[in-house]
Amino acid sequence: MDALLLAANLIFQPHVLLVIVAASAFGMFVGAMPGLTATMATALLVPITFFMDPVPALGAIVAATTMAIFAGDIPAAMLRIPGTPASAAYTDESYAMSKKGELDLNMGVNLVFSVMGGLIGVAILILAAPALAEAAINFSSFEYFWLALLGLTCAVFMSSEQPLKGITSLLFGLAINTIGIDPTAGFPRFTFGSVELLQGISFIPAMIGMFALSELLRGAVTVDHQGAVVAQKIGNIFVGIWAVFKRYWFNFLRGSTIGVAIGALPGAGADIAAWISFAVSKRFSKTPEKFGTGHVEGIVDATSANNSALGAAWIPALVFGIPGDSITAIVIGVLYMKGMNPGPTVFLQNPQFIYAVFLIFILANLLMLPLGWAAIKASKQILRVPRNVLLPIILMFCVVGAYAMTNSPYGIIIMLVLGMIGWLMEEHGFPIAPAILGLVLGEMLEQNFMTSMIKADGSLMGFFERPIAATLGVVTVLIWGAMVWRSFKPKSGIIPGLDSPGT
Amino acid sequence: MRANDAICGIVLILLAAVMIALAATLPEFPGQKYGPALFPRVLASGLILCGGLLVWRGITTRETGSRWVEWSPWTRDRWRLGSFALMLAMLLLYILAAETIGFILLGVFFLLGLFLWFRVRPLPAVIIAIVATLTIHWFFATMLRVPLPRGWLNTVL
Repeated sequence: MDALLLAANLIFQPHVLLVIVAASAFGMFVGAMPGLTATMATALLVPITFFMDPVPALGAIVAATTMAIFAGDIPAAMLRIPGTPASAAYTDESYAMSKKGELDLNMGVNLVFSVMGGLIGVAILILAAPALAEAAINFSSFEYFWLALLGLTCAVFMSSEQPLKGITSLLFGLAINTIGIDPTAGFPRFTFGSVELLQGISFIPAMIGMFALSELLRGAVTVDHQGAVVAQKIGNIFVGIWAVFKRYWFNFLRGSTIGVAIGALPGAGADIAAWISFAVSKRFSKTPEKFGTGHVEGIVDATSANNSALGAAWIPALVFGIPGDSITAIVIGVLYMKGMNPGPTVFLQNPQFIYAVFLIFILANLLMLPLGWAAIKASKQILRVPRNVLLPIILMFCVVGAYAMTNSPYGIIIMLVLGMIGWLMEEHGFPIAPAILGLVLGEMLEQNFMTSMIKADGSLMGFFERPIAATLGVVTVLIWGAMVWRSFKPKSGIIPGLDSPGT
Repeated sequence: MRANDAICGIVLILLAAVMIALAATLPEFPGQKYGPALFPRVLASGLILCGGLLVWRGITTRETGSRWVEWSPWTRDRWRLGSFALMLAMLLLYILAAETIGFILLGVFFLLGLFLWFRVRPLPAVIIAIVATLTIHWFFATMLRVPLPRGWLNTVL
């Protein structure tokens, strides 16, 4: 209880609240601009949060991403372009609703169910994380090795229709991570005598490159494609929401539950949650024939799911230091920079930070209601911001952000090189998320692998001797088996669009 | 641009081979069985395996008639190709020249060049380039105290 009060004390400070509101407005804008994603919003925010205390820094990221995931629904309905990949699953459905003259209802449903889905995600986060942390306190290097490997495995399994390319991407990320001082013996590897490579590939410039620069390069060749906004006035968006809730409350619960489950799985985030819950909604609907004609049912499922996934992704991130999606991958980098190594010990040593994250999540979701309403009202102006002006400014922002992380051109060089690699990977159908997770988790994986190897004296059986380690190990091996089996089977293609660039 | 999987596979195998070769130069410590070379070796072996599978898959798709390299439609449009190249060229220029010229002057040039290429009208382009550069400079250099290079304006600032 003391920690909760302490947390409230940390948050309800004028400057922290100001940061949260400003970051929310930023997130709203980035989410609503097609081509700018929630992950990109986070990557752009990190150089700024670097200079803040932990609580406002986390608050900025939580608030910006919460808003961005909702705001992606706005251009989906008005331009038929999803603002972020998380809205892609129901973009056509939303647009069909606007064409039928139900833009108000669509926006209202998206806003209200995003808020409620988000709150469910937070509720589960609050209930599950401390309990898991208590169990995790006894974990040894074997458990952590398997957890990291399981996390990476899930990332490959969930993020790509082509497991082979997912695995390659993962191995590539892990390989880049071996540059620098090795974590067990402290010997420099692959540094070619460069002092700057000794510190390894700086994580934040790498993120800015892979998530922001690669997106900007794609945007640069379509800079003149500005969508035409539907010519419809926005009225009262809250009319008729209650009727939708009474009719589809079960869809809302189901969507939020799927969102939580997928969000909590490492590597899969809001976009995949939306795809799956939309598919489930259609599969079990009493009126599947209405899907595609501007039917609100699937939207209720999916818009709840993507926001609930966002909160749930923080469960493995806070408890084990294993990111639930690409946003929390960045968050883990931020936590390390702030000296709060994620893991069960944070819950014991600094519980006020954990409670602060919970409170900010609740606050951000409540704040989404008025801010989202304002964004919808101002959407015509937001969507008219010309891309040919925006793109160069964001590029400059990336340059300065990458520079600020190392205070030298080294950061910009990393951004440029990894941005090009990220762009090439996307062009060739290699998902980026596994590479980033590899980069984040590489050190933890290697350290626990080496420690376990030394402890078990090279015997693989040692990795299965402790009960939890054995369970995790067996699950990991089973998923690998499933992937091998799946890749030798002809394509099933259950979830379209999974090769999207992350949330 | 999309190269055949076989090309990606070969690139990966080469990369992994370099990794193994370099890892061989890492020292072994007496009395310790597992040194800094172990993990890179495991990864490189994995990459070689994946690369091999990609080559195999690439060759099978070649048989169904796909080309070695497919160029996206935008690469045939000079202006779009230029947009892509200019973004990278500006980054390179910034990396090379920022210390000498300084953030403010180079930043204005950076933005103005891109704006004009992206067909923003000249007057708004000049105004936005100056305002945006000064805002970013104020935010990062003054608020966050990032030592942005001063360059030619060193004496003025």
